[in-house]
Amino acid sequence: MTVFKLDPEVYKRYKDEVLKLCNSFQKIDQPGLSDKQIAERLGLDERTVTEIRCVAERDCYSLDEWEKAIEFKRRATLEWSALALKRPDLKPE
Amino acid sequence: MALKGGATVCGIADVAAFDAHAPEKHRPGDLLPGARSVVVVGGAQPREGDWAATSPWVMQTMGTTDRIQGVGRRLAQYIESEFGYYALYVPPGTASGDTPFLSLMLAAELAGLGSKSLAGPVLNRDHGFMYWSAVITTAPFEPDGVEATPACPAPACRQMWEREHTTPCLTTCPSSSGGCLSGKLENGRAIRTFYDAARCNTRVHTHWVGGFQKVLEEALNEPDRDKRKMLLYGDFFTRSLWAITYSSTNIAQCFECMRVCPAAHGLKEMK
Repeated sequence: MTVFKLDPEVYKRYKDEVLKLCNSFQKIDQPGLSDKQIAERLGLDERTVTEIRCVAERDCYSLDEWEKAIEFKRRATLEWSALALKRPDLKPE
Repeated sequence: MALKGGATVCGIADVAAFDAHAPEKHRPGDLLPGARSVVVVGGAQPREGDWAATSPWVMQTMGTTDRIQGVGRRLAQYIESEFGYYALYVPPGTASGDTPFLSLMLAAELAGLGSKSLAGPVLNRDHGFMYWSAVITTAPFEPDGVEATPACPAPACRQMWEREHTTPCLTTCPSSSGGCLSGKLENGRAIRTFYDAARCNTRVHTHWVGGFQKVLEEALNEPDRDKRKMLLYGDFFTRSLWAITYSSTNIAQCFECMRVCPAAHGLKEMK
């Protein structure tokens, strides 16, 4: 007995389609589909789609993107502080 | 009771209203069969001092979302004890992956407490950005109407669009330059929007479950013991563990689209 493990080959085959159909990339008036709806569309079972989606959500961007997030927030926060507090010296270079 | 308990706003949505917007398994009746109403509370907004702080880690560490979740829990208790109807406090965590049990933002919209902004978060016309909590109940409460005039785009943003074809949120986090958002306004309304939720997740939950998994994977793949130690003892992994162990809910860690949003909190003069 073990936890449900997704077949990596199934993941590789369907990852892009599942990401496209779920809520990962949202457009106005174009809501993402539920795992059940995606499963029906791709001919897979719901549990498999749920696992593909969960892994793909994390796999979508590399660890570099997390580092970029830190830099982005540091800059944006300081830019706002400089504006709100009228302290141009706080502005990041 | 909700307002006395600490909520800034409170509204009621009819469960039937969710059918047109939420997929199966993410509707109130899927969590509590026989549900008739969803009571939504909002509040616990950051203060101007929080928005103006020079460190991005201030807002992510405060976890003010917990304050409104406490109101939601008490509201559920109150409905059951005072009215005798089932009341299910909607868990603020996720049902699977990054998907919530029930969209609290959709619930807020349907309860007439706000409307979706160009950047994504639901904004209240009077109070702007706030945190939400919801209770699904079998009680047949009278629903509130959906908000008629949206807070977004704010007049200042409509003017900016006329001049520059962009808005503060789109300028701060543009998908065309490694950000999460894009959109288009026409006649003062958003007619096209794009939101990269996967990238937003790296920003809004930088030091959280996703970051933890990413560094753990990197560490497991790293054959050098000393290099593994640098990853596991370093600031990123340590901060992620603090965030995860501190919170049972999805504490937001990125506020940049809301920080610059005039409808979210504006740029209020403080002494």
